[in-house]
Amino acid sequence: MNDLELFPYPKNRLQKTDLDLAASLQDLVQKEIVDKRLELKEDYQGLLRPNLDKLLVEVGLQRMFWPEDLGGEEHNGPEAAYTVAAALEQVGRADTGLAYLAAHNLALQAALAMRENLDREACARFAPLFCDGRGPMIVSFILPVFGEDEKAPAWRGKSFQVKARSASGGWVLEGKGIRPTCSGADATLFGAWCAVEGEEAPAFILVPGDAPGLSRGPEFKKTGLAASRNADLDLSGVEVPAENCLFRGDLEYRRLLSWFYLGITATTVGGLLAAYQILKEWGDNRVIKGTGNIFKENPLTGALMGEIAQDISMSRLLAYDLAGMLADPSSFGDAGSDMVYTSALMIVHQVLATAERALHRTMELMASAGYAKEWQLERYWRDLKTVQCYVGSHELAKHDFSRWFYGARTL
Amino acid sequence: MRTIDDFTRPLEYVSPMDGLLGSIFRDWVEREVMPYRRRFDEDYRDHRLIHPPFKKLLGEYGLQRMIFPEDLGGWGMGRSNYMCTAAFRMFEEIARADTGMALAFGALFWPFLFIALEPHENRRLLEEFAPMFCETTEAVFAALCMTEPQGGSDIENIEIVKGSTIRTTAVLDGDEWVINGHKLWPSNTGGLAKLMAVVCTTNPGSDDPRDIAVIYVTSDTPGVTQGPPYEKAGMAADMNSDVWFENVRVPSWYRACGPGDDAKYFGEIMSTGNMGIIAWISGAMMNIYERLTEFVNRKKFRGLPLKENDAVAGVLADFAAHIEAIRIVGYQCARMCDRHDLYGPLWDPGLVAKTRAQRYLAMDRFIEVTGRVMNLMECFGADRDWDVEKHWRDLKILQLVEGSKQLCQIETARWFYECTTL
Repeated sequence: MNDLELFPYPKNRLQKTDLDLAASLQDLVQKEIVDKRLELKEDYQGLLRPNLDKLLVEVGLQRMFWPEDLGGEEHNGPEAAYTVAAALEQVGRADTGLAYLAAHNLALQAALAMRENLDREACARFAPLFCDGRGPMIVSFILPVFGEDEKAPAWRGKSFQVKARSASGGWVLEGKGIRPTCSGADATLFGAWCAVEGEEAPAFILVPGDAPGLSRGPEFKKTGLAASRNADLDLSGVEVPAENCLFRGDLEYRRLLSWFYLGITATTVGGLLAAYQILKEWGDNRVIKGTGNIFKENPLTGALMGEIAQDISMSRLLAYDLAGMLADPSSFGDAGSDMVYTSALMIVHQVLATAERALHRTMELMASAGYAKEWQLERYWRDLKTVQCYVGSHELAKHDFSRWFYGARTL
Repeated sequence: MRTIDDFTRPLEYVSPMDGLLGSIFRDWVEREVMPYRRRFDEDYRDHRLIHPPFKKLLGEYGLQRMIFPEDLGGWGMGRSNYMCTAAFRMFEEIARADTGMALAFGALFWPFLFIALEPHENRRLLEEFAPMFCETTEAVFAALCMTEPQGGSDIENIEIVKGSTIRTTAVLDGDEWVINGHKLWPSNTGGLAKLMAVVCTTNPGSDDPRDIAVIYVTSDTPGVTQGPPYEKAGMAADMNSDVWFENVRVPSWYRACGPGDDAKYFGEIMSTGNMGIIAWISGAMMNIYERLTEFVNRKKFRGLPLKENDAVAGVLADFAAHIEAIRIVGYQCARMCDRHDLYGPLWDPGLVAKTRAQRYLAMDRFIEVTGRVMNLMECFGADRDWDVEKHWRDLKILQLVEGSKQLCQIETARWFYECTTL
């Protein structure tokens, strides 16, 4: 049995195409990434960027949702949630950073091209960028963060990073020291949740990476996610057409985030599965000299390995539960509804917290091999902690949970 | 405005040198380390940035001399009853800037514990090695070579394994030891160490503690090879590598304490190592407190500083509470290591077990609360410029130094519950 199949998931709900895609991705990433990791480590030019091209362009993840007549695969029914989960856990197993970037791309596609909410005009404008085969679309989001100006317009307490104003049939965007969710140094398209001057409703506006007035700071160092070359941005009088505003409402914004959180959850499960494979090799071969036990046969270490497997298993089930909610709006409601959004937020936080614990324990079991780059485990630990930070504060996310479950109004 | 100095330092415990050492180290850290530390990760192989501050601290200020007797040019701390409480303060101040430097600094003294402490001071060896450290203004590093490829941290588990897994051999040939073996991970290797204490067996496979030998080897002895530094998740200032010994010959009197005693006094490495780890945690937490305070004052939520949100304040309070508790536990640990008249000898298995327990508890708490702090800081928590993530990476490594967490648990359970088969 394939060792990844040891962790159950609702295989019966996946279509044959999903299973085939997962299988081919499993082979591809094993050959192109996992087998080359020891030699290339996290080299962006040598390992990560070429594989970003392969995954998004050659495999076609960036064409998945778009209508066929616009060059896409038109796999844009809600059941695509399972496809996203199955694909990103395979990519995440190979490299969490690549999967994290793909999660951005897929979430934007879902927001624009999902069959039930398909925005035909927007698709016609943006699908060619994703489907013309010219190169990978590196999508990044600009979301509200903790700002430093107490008077800055805010969304649920956090400051908008971009201010938009309507001018001569388009939008003019301003912002300084903007921290995007990924790839500030090389994203080709930014999706910004902007405060709109003189209006209450924010706007989600797409900004091409080469827009005049958009400047990128130097790539900064961070804990992990080498595939995401992040940098802060300035937007100075950036003009974009009116049509670049994809939506104005919270419902659509939450829909985007629900899909984004599904992608991140699956990415995280992929990282956990990689950690499992690394620990399994260790546990199968390491001998505790004092007692002569194979590592996995020691009662203490064996129990801890069992607990880690439990964490991985539960996380995988949760990821597919979330996919199931997004795949069945008739039972659970729109992906942007309060219930689905809150569930997505809870699941992504739960799985990331579980992953943090499981990775800590895996490192503890492997001792120095856990933190030596040679054994490849520590990168998943760094990557997933970085993802957790970018998803946002669990402490404040709990307010969203309370709003839904207890009807809290002022949090 | 509150500062790190407002956290409780148990004044009943501090060494007579505490204030002086604190100000020297604080000043050195601010001037020589803080401006450069964010670039240390990429300096793991060459130590171009890391070495100059070490030269100042160890060579020019002379800290590398402190464990040697005064009449040999040292500061005589090996004979004091405040070595560990003084070290706690020094370790804490260095770790505030960089835990890797703090570990490298502490590990420099491990090899000398066998020969510089009462009642097993080895005068002849001290006289032999003191000039190397006391008559220079260059930084000189020493390393204790324990871990081996086949056994991982088993060697550190000396109480139960009793040296039976050691593969590095020492054979007496006339008036010389001939050493052969392969060590992994010693701090201060990768070409840094000028002197090594090597844990060997004189009778491979034996579980008789008298067959464990700690033997000194200078790194320029023919047959000694230090490999290139390992690349790790952090702790760049703590340089580690493979070390090979091929027919290395040293005088027979280079053995530290002799049959039985080398194994017995190995416990001193564990006790002081555990104490050091708590000090390094405490120091790192001080710096996280500083950076976190700046963050929650600067960053706003609902128009107010982040710290004014009740939910956030809960996380901040937990972090401060852990600093208070961990520092007090750490000083208590240091005191226990210093006051043999009250707590028993430094090598005593009970003291080793208690310091193990204190260490792993402190580390577990650190990892949990610092993980929450990073998450609270959202995308900035993973940002090198905010420094918290560096401490988080570095201390995870530190958790696994001198044996994994599970080894700490086993040793603790073995002593407190008198387990006989663990």
